[in-house]
Amino acid sequence: MNIPAWFAPAIVVLVCWGIAGLLQKLSTNHLSAETALVWLMVGFFLLDPWLYPQESILTYSSRSLIFALLSSLLNALGGWALLAAMKHGGKASIVVPFTALYPLVTVCLAPFLLHESITLQQGAGVACALIAVALLST
Amino acid sequence: MRLPVVLKTKWFWYSVLSVFGMGGWTLLAKLGTAEISAQTMQFLYPFGWVPVALTCLWVRRFRLEKSVRGILYGVAIGVLGGIGGLAFFAACRTGGSTSAIAAATGMYPLITVVLAVLILREKLTRLHILGLVFAGAAFVLFSF
Repeated sequence: MNIPAWFAPAIVVLVCWGIAGLLQKLSTNHLSAETALVWLMVGFFLLDPWLYPQESILTYSSRSLIFALLSSLLNALGGWALLAAMKHGGKASIVVPFTALYPLVTVCLAPFLLHESITLQQGAGVACALIAVALLST
Repeated sequence: MRLPVVLKTKWFWYSVLSVFGMGGWTLLAKLGTAEISAQTMQFLYPFGWVPVALTCLWVRRFRLEKSVRGILYGVAIGVLGGIGGLAFFAACRTGGSTSAIAAATGMYPLITVVLAVLILREKLTRLHILGLVFAGAAFVLFSF
């Protein structure tokens, strides 16, 4: 059997993010969403020494840097809301799949903001995501 | 007309806010990565969290709970999230189909669900399980 090269790192992603979802619930059993977010950010910074870019960041345009920082700011807001959802009684088994449906927003807004077109499959994905949200919210 | 009970719960609306936050993240990240490498994006990533973390500190009046277990869980989420992000970029660099990689890695909530049922003893109704099936289908379809 020929296993593609991307398979092993994809398994690492699945395991890491899957376990992180469980830990999000466990952390909010002990901490407020705000405190959990602060420590989560500390965890991100622990990896930064290994990610230090070889090129100077100043070589990039300020426009791209602003997009990069704004994107992670929105991600942090989403992360805080996810932790708050768990703190306010949301189950990990419901909140994690629910919030993972964020490509719904991406697919719906991409045609307007990025001028990308939606394929038929993506349209079907939007329908499936909306049904999933309704069912997970019961 | 009566509103469904879930619309009165806080967790539902926080989840909706999270979906919009994460959705906005992907859109802006797409614009950022047009010029910036994936590794540098990952390096810059925690810096965007600083204003939100400072706001959280301010909301908590700079008094954080001191649960060692909670702190360890919090730091572990960050480390695992970062390693997962790096592995995702590594998968993309292998030259494999981005759609296939996105679809495969998008299944991570299923790991959480299994762990939550086994470890946290959370219970799912049949409608929830059906919802997970539709969510799985959506992840795959979004990737194309």
